[in-house]
Amino acid sequence: MELQKFQYDNKIVKWFAYATMFWGVVGMLVGLLAALQLFLPSFNMNLPFTTFGRVRPIHTNAVIFAFVGNGIFMGVYYSLQRLLKARMFSDFLSKVHFYGWQLIIVLAAISLALGKTTGKEYAELEWPIDILITLVWVVFGWNMFGTIVRRRERHLYVAIWFYIGTLVTVAMLHIVNSIEIPVSFWKSYSWYAGVQDALVQWWYGHNAVAFFLTTPYLGMMYYFLPKAANRPVYSYRLSIIHFWSLIFIYIWAGPHHLLYTSVPDWAQSLGVVFSIMLIAPSWGGMINGLLTLRGAWDKVREDVVLKFMVVAVTAYGMATFEGPMLSLKNVSAISHYTDWIVAHVHVGALGWNGFLTFGILYWLIPKMFRTELYSKKLANAHFWVGTLGIVLYAVPMYWSGIMQSLMWKEFTPEGQLKWQFMDTVTKMIPFYATRAIGGTLYLAGTILMVYNLIKTTKMGSFLANEDAEAPALQKDFTTHGKEHWHRWIERKPIQMMIVSLVVVMIGGIIEFVPTFLVKSNIPTITSVKPYTPLELHGRDIYVREGCYTCHSQMIRPFRSETARYGEYSKAGEFVYDHPFQWGSKRTGPDLARVGGKYPDSWHYTHMLDPTSMSPGSIMPAYPWLFDDQIDVSSTVAKIKAMKRLGVPYPEGFENIAAKDMEKQAKIIAENLNKDGIQTLADREIVALIAYLQRMGTDIKNQQKDTLRK
Amino acid sequence: MKSQNRFFFFVLLFLPIFNYAQDVTATNNSSYFSNALFVTLLIAIFLLLIVIIALAQSLKNISASDYILNRFKKTEDKQGDDKNNATKITTVIMLLFAGYHASAQGINNSAESWLIGGLDMLTFYSMLTVIFLEAVVIMILYYQIMGFIKTEKQVLSQKPKTKTILEKLNASVDIEKEHDILLDHDYDGIKELDNDLPPWWKYGFYLTIGVAIVYLINFHVLGTGDLQKAEYDKSIVQAKIDLEEYMKTAANNVDETTVKELSGPDIEVGKELFIASCAACHGKDGRGTVGPNLTDEYWLHGGSVADIFKTIKYGWVDKGMKSWKDDLSPMQIAQITSFIRTLKGTNPAGAKAAQGDLYKEEIKTVTDSTQVISDTLVVMKDTLK
Repeated sequence: MELQKFQYDNKIVKWFAYATMFWGVVGMLVGLLAALQLFLPSFNMNLPFTTFGRVRPIHTNAVIFAFVGNGIFMGVYYSLQRLLKARMFSDFLSKVHFYGWQLIIVLAAISLALGKTTGKEYAELEWPIDILITLVWVVFGWNMFGTIVRRRERHLYVAIWFYIGTLVTVAMLHIVNSIEIPVSFWKSYSWYAGVQDALVQWWYGHNAVAFFLTTPYLGMMYYFLPKAANRPVYSYRLSIIHFWSLIFIYIWAGPHHLLYTSVPDWAQSLGVVFSIMLIAPSWGGMINGLLTLRGAWDKVREDVVLKFMVVAVTAYGMATFEGPMLSLKNVSAISHYTDWIVAHVHVGALGWNGFLTFGILYWLIPKMFRTELYSKKLANAHFWVGTLGIVLYAVPMYWSGIMQSLMWKEFTPEGQLKWQFMDTVTKMIPFYATRAIGGTLYLAGTILMVYNLIKTTKMGSFLANEDAEAPALQKDFTTHGKEHWHRWIERKPIQMMIVSLVVVMIGGIIEFVPTFLVKSNIPTITSVKPYTPLELHGRDIYVREGCYTCHSQMIRPFRSETARYGEYSKAGEFVYDHPFQWGSKRTGPDLARVGGKYPDSWHYTHMLDPTSMSPGSIMPAYPWLFDDQIDVSSTVAKIKAMKRLGVPYPEGFENIAAKDMEKQAKIIAENLNKDGIQTLADREIVALIAYLQRMGTDIKNQQKDTLRK
Repeated sequence: MKSQNRFFFFVLLFLPIFNYAQDVTATNNSSYFSNALFVTLLIAIFLLLIVIIALAQSLKNISASDYILNRFKKTEDKQGDDKNNATKITTVIMLLFAGYHASAQGINNSAESWLIGGLDMLTFYSMLTVIFLEAVVIMILYYQIMGFIKTEKQVLSQKPKTKTILEKLNASVDIEKEHDILLDHDYDGIKELDNDLPPWWKYGFYLTIGVAIVYLINFHVLGTGDLQKAEYDKSIVQAKIDLEEYMKTAANNVDETTVKELSGPDIEVGKELFIASCAACHGKDGRGTVGPNLTDEYWLHGGSVADIFKTIKYGWVDKGMKSWKDDLSPMQIAQITSFIRTLKGTNPAGAKAAQGDLYKEEIKTVTDSTQVISDTLVVMKDTLK
């Protein structure tokens, strides 16, 4: 067997590493801004692109897709080449992938700041960017499989199983969840409505966590942890079982984000039980990682890389145990819509993704620059500052989340709610402040790392192309003696890809298809009518401003919620909601039945200065809505798009929509006038008021109908 | 084969529970699964069971190691014995369950039972007994394991260290011996060991699958668990009962038919409540901003104590006045009403123009009951609009 000489491409790894660091700092800075806004509303700066509703999606997208995304590509491009003993398939594709991804990030940041959003959490990007993401992802997959085909290693290592699982599942999730009808170049409506949209969205949202934040990082753990510790992986059998069970079970768990909502009971229960069954597969990854360190714990005390990795894997274990607990109905009843969930995801993001990324960077950069780390002391300082940051972030959020939820639910003996919503908000302020301190510490640690690594690169010399050699794969392969049955699929990358795709498709299909086909899952309510053109415009403004980041539109069937907000939400109420806007967090009160609760003038004054109507409010002001005109040029296209989605507007309605809109706007303007407010009927605030006053009122009309009979 | 067998027993364990749940519903409408104490005890029982199984597994692993085999001069039968041991333990626990299942049935048939945390005494104590017995089994297993470790230490004094409990639980192969299970895999220098699945992990996985099955059966096959709508309806009924109970003894039980004008400190309290809840729309001094002026003699919905009380209590939702009955107690509404009545004629600066009809105080004294009836009609008309 002749040894073939080849070179590993380190340059692409370096680029992705730099991008990881850069976007990490940017994403965390934006996060810090959002954290400040929650207790110092003046940080919203009265500008459209700096209000919380737009900043929050920028933060989540930046951290998930820019920081962790580039982290994934860094890890994959480094480990894949070495595990396959082959250079990446094409340097050109690598470059296209790198620049394409950075372009997506920049476009995302700009478009989100401008309010171009689909209004679906973690999938906010509009359709042109969605297409771009799909293309770049295909380039990534092509490059990856090209490399796999040219490999010089017969069997695929467990890390690569996870990479393949990630590749196919993310593609599936992204495409299915992003099906939308374009209205214009920067506006689209989700193809799904209401309950279906919610199910698809949280199938996506949950599995974005699973297959973007978890599986690729598990793959990276399987390469970098044994490398850094110089220890064999603890159990090959455990790898097999936890990989397949993890990807199979994870996909089902999405509905646990929708417990006690209008989603059918059976779907909720599936979400619960699969979440419970998810504990062991998740922990399989943790114990295989931690037990790999058996006999190397003395090193962990010394080596900062291993320290980061150990905390990362432990945080992973904690978050994946907490997740199933949060999926229990009675726990979700308390935790949903609160800061508890925010704390939970940040243990995952800061602990698992952040710390594993830092560990890998501290290991990788000196290696590629053929030198030692510039300062071990600084790295250790980063470790402690970061850990303290996580604790200071998470603990107050757990506390405040549980406290607020219990306050929401508390009744006096007379049977009244004990607390106004505002009472519970004021109680949150000190916790929000402490959380921001935790976040600042974490960011400070990251900046220390960036400084340390820049200094390291200055000390060393970069090895762009690393020499390697290995024998080529023989055409024929015969097994010697008895081998584990799983070895077969490890030799067959294409089969591996197909089998994992089938495994991840099962859960989704079983959960969605019945809600699309079986009518009884979404009982229709005859009094629920499509939005008027003005309300539709108002709804688009609601989506644009990211109101869903702080307000839910889903009243759960609890006495404490029906007493506070009115009748609990029904599946049939959302059939024209493209996209659904149920939200996942109640920083402010639920709005599902806000319609008719206050006069028009209340909303007008409230949007101009929230504290004037609700003293102590931390909601930002929206002064631009009072100057900007409703975009009437898009009305026809919007109604047409809605009709294509099956919303039953009468024939030719798009042609009279403008008139209808004018009429409704005039009534609202006159209404405002009666309360001494002079406004033009063509301002955005009028459309928003129309939408707010419509929300949840269709059912009330139904009650009136029955009264009349 | 071996593990299949054990899994089979494990599933068997759940069977009494199914029967149990079924019996409970037959005799009693409320499910035991909705009782927090019952669920907690049940979880404790299962967790302890997992510990027992894991310990039994570790015991088997230790006792199966070479030197022990030599020491006790036993051959392969030993393995079988151990399997039987585990089987015995599970069978014993199963019997325990079956027993308590039967007794629980008995108690349900008896007319009266004393409750502890919502559980009848016999169920409670039999569950406690199961937990106690499990604890005893764990102690015994633990001391047996410790005993083995001790003998191991004495016999092989050349061996530097013994396995930790964690290693026993994980059933890991010693680091010194790990070359025996090192696979011939080599990926960029990364090797893989062939350690067995940690027993606690494996049985934990089985347990979650068992829980999932029980969960689905409970909610969707037997229907013994309340789905969200039933749960909600029950909570509303319960709240009504609780409120009635409370109101029997409560002092501030007023409504629109019994409310009277208050004075003195109640006005002060009313003022505070007004500023907190009403001032946003009516102004701190009642001058009216978004909502109408409360200081003049004109009222949209009547100006008597009963009228104002009712307006606050039920609201005029169509006109933007929300109902406050879920936010404020009847007494608080009466206090606010009385405060509002003191505002008349204060003529604050910037007062909003009068709305509604002139209200004369005398009307109240004539016929209170007809007033209420006519107001009810207004309310009805308004809802019909």
